Amino acid sequence: MKGPLSYLQPGRNTKVSDQSETMSFIPGQPVTAVVQRIEIRKLRQGEHLILGFSIGGGIDQDPGQNPFSEDKSDKGIYVTRVTPEGPAEVAGLMMGDKVMQVNGWDMTMVTHDQARKRLTKKNEDVVRLLVTRKSLEQAVKHSMM
Amino acid sequence: MASVNNSKNLRDSDIQKKIDHEIRMRDGACKLLAACSQRDQALEAAKSLLTCNTRIMAYMSELQRMKEAQVMQRVARRSDGTRSSDAGPMDDRLPCKGKVAISDLRIPLMWKDTEYFKNKGELHRCAVFCLLQVGGEIHDTDMVMVDRTLTDICFDNTIVFSEASPGFELRVELYSCCSEEDYSAGSAPRKLASKLSSSLGRSAGKKLRVAMDPGACSPTSNGGAVTLLLPGHAVAGPKYHLLAHTSLSLSHVQDSFRTHDLSISGNEDCSYWVPLYGSVCCRLAAQPHCMTQQMMSGCLKVKQLGGDPQSWTNVYGVLKGTNLFCYHRQEDMEANVEPAFTIAINKETRIRASEKDPHSKAQSICISNQYGGEEVTHTLSADSHEETHRWMEAFWQQFYDMSQWKQCCDDLMKIELPSPRKPALVTSKQGSLYHEIVIDTSDDISTVTDILTRRMQELELRSQLGTSPPWMSLFEESPGGPRTPRLARHSPRSPHRLPHSPLSPLRCPWPGLLSSDASLTSDSDSPCSTSPCSRHRGWAEPLSSPRFRPRTLSLDAKLSTLRGRGYGGVLQCSCQPPSSSSLGPIPAQCVPQATLSCSSSTSSNSSSEGSHSPSSLDGTPFSRPSSARRSLRNVRAKLDPRNWLQSQV
Repeated sequence: MKGPLSYLQPGRNTKVSDQSETMSFIPGQPVTAVVQRIEIRKLRQGEHLILGFSIGGGIDQDPGQNPFSEDKSDKGIYVTRVTPEGPAEVAGLMMGDKVMQVNGWDMTMVTHDQARKRLTKKNEDVVRLLVTRKSLEQAVKHSMM
Repeated sequence: MASVNNSKNLRDSDIQKKIDHEIRMRDGACKLLAACSQRDQALEAAKSLLTCNTRIMAYMSELQRMKEAQVMQRVARRSDGTRSSDAGPMDDRLPCKGKVAISDLRIPLMWKDTEYFKNKGELHRCAVFCLLQVGGEIHDTDMVMVDRTLTDICFDNTIVFSEASPGFELRVELYSCCSEEDYSAGSAPRKLASKLSSSLGRSAGKKLRVAMDPGACSPTSNGGAVTLLLPGHAVAGPKYHLLAHTSLSLSHVQDSFRTHDLSISGNEDCSYWVPLYGSVCCRLAAQPHCMTQQMMSGCLKVKQLGGDPQSWTNVYGVLKGTNLFCYHRQEDMEANVEPAFTIAINKETRIRASEKDPHSKAQSICISNQYGGEEVTHTLSADSHEETHRWMEAFWQQFYDMSQWKQCCDDLMKIELPSPRKPALVTSKQGSLYHEIVIDTSDDISTVTDILTRRMQELELRSQLGTSPPWMSLFEESPGGPRTPRLARHSPRSPHRLPHSPLSPLRCPWPGLLSSDASLTSDSDSPCSTSPCSRHRGWAEPLSSPRFRPRTLSLDAKLSTLRGRGYGGVLQCSCQPPSSSSLGPIPAQCVPQATLSCSSSTSSNSSSEGSHSPSSLDGTPFSRPSSARRSLRNVRAKLDPRNWLQSQV
């Protein structure tokens, strides 16, 4: 289920900023991005709850190998694969999206394992993600022009 | 008679030239196949080989048909004494040829949903491509790698056949080849295999040329003799198999995309199987020459019926497509000026020769069209009787062509010629450039080579087992310059191939270590991977025979029972060769590596899809996570420094 677009400043050091700049990632600096809310209902498969996508990235990973990031020093969590007709695709998640928040937990400054854990908590049926992608930025820019 | 024979001989020699050309290409492809080391290259070479073979067979069957026709003619001539080549074809009207183009081929796939949600082992990949054939013209598309992340196989090529008759049959064949076979001919050493293929190529080519000689007997029509001569089976390397085929004809031509059924050969058990949905979508367009070329042109006098008998207009008429364009002067047409007026010549048009007009010398031609509700008739008159006759011929031919090409003559279909493409970056699916790592001369190179040498010495001690790590090929190569080692997607086979004896004492305490680490069990909520990954994704060629340890590592089994869960996605670890920084105390570490790699696979839920798990030996230090669980995390960090892990959630 897609939610409204919203401006958001994620990241540990949040700073209020009232303009949306390009999604630039400067390590150590607060990040500003246009995000989309995506609510994914986990699907029960046997005794597991799955979301139907794969993530890559993390502060303990090599960011240079991320094929989806614009800035190759971006150590964020990216969606590397979306299972067709899985819960994530149905909810509107797309490959290449950068995950900023999961159920309120920040995902811009986490290790790969922490990210995975936050997505796969057994007691949660639904995860609400905030994701950003390049096309969102451009859509907003065009609508503002 | 001589001219007929001459033209036939010309065609013969044309085909022979084509066959010779294809044989040369074939030899080249065989050599390349024998020489190449990378899987992609081998697949491409095998594809060229298949295409060349198919072309050779097509040319040879055409040659066969021509020889048979010659023989038939000679027989017919002898029997009734008449020159049968004169009669017949002249009276029958032949339709014009045209261009047929097929583009935007898309073949939907139908993976089982169980495959989607699992991440079992590595991706089973197949290389596929299409062969398209109209008559003797055979084209192939580019090769596409197919794995279960694809929902459709898309071929971007536009293939144009320039001289197709309206009764054409476009045969589309989909070939596929599994991308993970061990290509070497069983246990035969590579050198011998390559010698065989190249030498057979040359001798077979000679045999083929002998067979081409008109004096010799021609190959059997079913190509049986041909397959004996063509050493396709003897060539080592990836082999493509026919997966599906279909035939398209004029009835399938349309100016938009259409879906056609595929006949599928093969089944799930074949290695080259790809689950096809059963149809193929494409755009099949045709441009008959009658629509694109000037079929007739000349000077005419035109009068509109009902007008003044004296009001003849002198025009230069051009019959093209569904129109007769009338220009004031011939120069106008060449200058692309708009015509004075246009008379439609289409399926609704009626043309007849009128009675002799008392005012003009020759017969006139009346062209009637319905414009709106009205019938408008134009009368054409040419300078001489022969001209009139030629124009009538041209109109009849046009009508005949339109009746043969049917819907292609309603409107001109667009055919976009394929633009010259830049060499495509094949790395799109493979991931980053880290796959091809060149160890250039830098300060670190000495460290790296020292480390590798030491490691090699260490492993040579175990060489009686015949194991050799992937990067041994670095040192096996001729001491020329530095080579580009393919360090992608390999697993350190050596740790897994270590004999059980030195390993077992180390493995036994391991489960104990893990079970005592309570934090570990609570950490990950997924079981260990089934195998220290990437086994199958190892080196393409340097190792003679893969000696895999059986998947049921007792360690894995123990850990899975510890976990007691079977997560939907079976994930694999990313085993890496030791990075430079961890290689310091090599002898001490090399043995425990196997166990450590197993543990890393259990602790981390990560699966490394091969495209993103290269290793780098460039010596740059990796970052160590400063997490609380030092022991395990450090170990994992040591082993997977450069891996870009991916996890399925």
